Amino acid sequence: MRAAIAAHDAGVDVAIVSKLHPTRSHSGAAEGGINAALGNASEDDPETHAYDTVKGSDYLGDQDAIEILCNEAPADVYQLENWGAVFSRTEDGRIAQRPFGAAGAPRTAYAADITGHVLLQVLYEQLIKRDLPVYEEFFAWRLVVKDDRCQGVICWDLMNGGLKTIGAKTVILATGGAGRLYVGTTNAYACTGDGMSMALRAGVALEDMEMMQFHPTTLAPTGVLITEGCRGEGAYLLNSEGERFLKRYAPNAMELASRDVISRAEQTEIDEGRGVEGNVLLDLRHLGAEKILERLHGTRELSMVFAGVDPIYEPIPVRPGAHYHMGGVDTDVWGGTSLEGLYAAGEVACVSVHGANRLGGNALMETITFGKRAGNHAADWALAHTTVEVPESATRDAERDLQALLDRTEGERPWKIRDELAQTMHENFGVFRREELMERQGEIVAELRERYRRVLVEDKGTLFNNDLTQALELEFMLELADCMVVSGLARKESRGAHARPHDYPDRDDENYMRHTIVTWVDGGPKLGWKPVTMTKWQPQERTY
Amino acid sequence: MQVALKIWRYDSRSGERALREYEVDAPEWVTLLDVLDIIKDRQDGTLAYRKSCRMMICGSCGMRMDGAAVLACKTRMYEIAQSGHIPVISAMGNLPIVRDLVVDMDPFWAKFKAMKPWLQPGYVEPPDGKEHLHTQQEMNAIHKESLCINCGCCVSECNAMESDPEFLGPQALAKGMRFVGDPRDQAEVERLEAYNSENGIWECTRCYFCNERCPKGVDPRDAIAKLGAESVKLGIDRDLGAKHAKWFVTSAKTTGYLRETELVPKTQGVVASIKEMKFAMSLARHGKIPPPFPPHVAADVKESRALYNLVKTQGRDGALGIVQGEHALGRIEFDEAEGAKVTDPEVRPEKPTPHAES
Repeated sequence: MRAAIAAHDAGVDVAIVSKLHPTRSHSGAAEGGINAALGNASEDDPETHAYDTVKGSDYLGDQDAIEILCNEAPADVYQLENWGAVFSRTEDGRIAQRPFGAAGAPRTAYAADITGHVLLQVLYEQLIKRDLPVYEEFFAWRLVVKDDRCQGVICWDLMNGGLKTIGAKTVILATGGAGRLYVGTTNAYACTGDGMSMALRAGVALEDMEMMQFHPTTLAPTGVLITEGCRGEGAYLLNSEGERFLKRYAPNAMELASRDVISRAEQTEIDEGRGVEGNVLLDLRHLGAEKILERLHGTRELSMVFAGVDPIYEPIPVRPGAHYHMGGVDTDVWGGTSLEGLYAAGEVACVSVHGANRLGGNALMETITFGKRAGNHAADWALAHTTVEVPESATRDAERDLQALLDRTEGERPWKIRDELAQTMHENFGVFRREELMERQGEIVAELRERYRRVLVEDKGTLFNNDLTQALELEFMLELADCMVVSGLARKESRGAHARPHDYPDRDDENYMRHTIVTWVDGGPKLGWKPVTMTKWQPQERTY
Repeated sequence: MQVALKIWRYDSRSGERALREYEVDAPEWVTLLDVLDIIKDRQDGTLAYRKSCRMMICGSCGMRMDGAAVLACKTRMYEIAQSGHIPVISAMGNLPIVRDLVVDMDPFWAKFKAMKPWLQPGYVEPPDGKEHLHTQQEMNAIHKESLCINCGCCVSECNAMESDPEFLGPQALAKGMRFVGDPRDQAEVERLEAYNSENGIWECTRCYFCNERCPKGVDPRDAIAKLGAESVKLGIDRDLGAKHAKWFVTSAKTTGYLRETELVPKTQGVVASIKEMKFAMSLARHGKIPPPFPPHVAADVKESRALYNLVKTQGRDGALGIVQGEHALGRIEFDEAEGAKVTDPEVRPEKPTPHAES
């Protein structure tokens, strides 16, 4: 939505295509906040923000992109406030900011624990103000590529059925992540990596696909997110012995170390038998009822509904869960990809500002800043080019393939493949990784892809047929799993979210301070590498 | 555990409608949404419903359970399944059904858009080119309204909308209050004029179903009441509803009693009152109308006048005077010292909980 607003304001015709209504996007589930060096809570500046982000990324982030993000962030946050975002306030009436993990200052601007929701609403409001058309419940399935340009999208119309092709001079992907590759994910059912897979199929590279972030505080059994804002407000993490175990892993930052560090610490505690039924405990009790009710009201509600625990009286059982893809569509600092006319912004993209580990609060900021930049750049490009050509063959091919899927009357229902994929990714490609398990996962994914060839869609109708779209989403996810495993095997070191304590426990800057790149060749992933862009900061040992 | 549901299946193209029963084996922690997923995966792939976040924030999965709107992802099934009750699941009310549990949300969004739901700061600019400066207390005025996730549960249950589909309805009006109450918004008068239209705030029947069924504690009825109070405060009182409310205040202030005899002329005007004359005479014959003169004045009318003055001097004659619903801010009566519980969650694990060392 931020990209559409920017492009519209730059003077071009824009439409949004979304498989959900825009306010249903999973950005709305972001709870804790958005990082910008406003300096409202203590002294802060964009350079410190950039340094924290570079260090947090375990030096895999591209420093030019990070500097852009951190420099533009404050003005972009003021813009959101001016549009009407309902931020929490400091005593002198400014936007309130709270401490977040691995940040040198309280930098995370927030709206209680519903920041993403509030920002999603304000963007939708601005969309309505500009009267921008939205193709709601249009499931984007394939990109139209003609003359080495991206010239449109082919979609399944959920409400009315049928494939609809939308021609466009430029297409900006803003489809989010792929957390549904895992069981116990914080991600929505909609987060199936659609845009990543579409770009991959169109010949665009995916970058750093092995970098899946595990959030340290998710609720069993399904992985509902408990915000980092809890720890920002001062919550403790305890093991079964009541010990604040982080003092053995991150003695200085404790609960506010970076997410990869805490997730590994938790997993180690659980693996070594100091967990509580597969969880550790997030203790908010000492914060007091008033603070919990005012600033963490939503968290309390989630804990009560999904875990039966009232955090005012009891600690919340939490564990690491798949949360955010640092990797994604390889883009430049304007969101542009190697395919002319195709842009990507937000979690679907890898600029890369997050490198091997994202800091809490940087994701919302990335969607806003790089959404705006992609929108502006795409608009400039569209103003300079006049033609759109959608070859009939593109639509025809899509229709033929879809019909073949719908005509199949015998086969396997998607859920078993989907559940097996998610379960095995969790077991074999989780917080800790081993060579042999990753290899095994590669075989499993190959086998699942083979089984997918006989997948059965039961609903043959044209009226809100999401049985069909859910099967198509599974195909996206299987391809991405393949890319992740290939990238993970290639990175023979431990960096950020990619932890291999058993064979390559250390970071290896000499060989691996570079991005993995995957392209799709002959129906499978092909690995490549790309250098990291450095400006000011040389790699150092990373401790918290 | 075994969970059984009856689901109203419907196809708007063919008009076919059927109540089907399903039974699945599910873990004890499942929600209604999880059960629907199991049915769709393993028993009937043609079952249509919306879903996304499964954590009560995207607003996709509004539907009815035993005739009352719920978010499927917020509805735990354990107790229902244990009780042996088989709930009936159907699509939300007041919106056209497309298929099974999927409704057409277009009428919902049309009303949302009719509210001009974007901030109109006018010529007011932030003092230093940064953010507008407002205290948390000022912003709290719209805290509840900004919790709304547009799920449609309130609209589904709205009695006024059932009798007049054109009524703007609880969701749109709560969105309206989100801007009227925003200290940054300068279009309060224009907004209230628009929301005082024929299909606006005074059409609400005050049944409180929207407050009751909202899964996020937005309390749309309270928002509508706030809009009404702000309208009257600003003199936007041409609607019968506003005049009616105003007369209650006037009679309480002057006599301490509701002066019903004057209520009709004050609300509907003299002409309408004359038309009601016959009815009024018949009421009077049966002793249902006290004589208007001399006015009956309550003994403690001073108290009522003092209350009126207090409200005025505290500036609580607008939105601020509306008593807030409780659950949004979670500000339910709370007394830790006495060990009183805020709310008892449904399931409480029976396990010792270690304390922090420091």
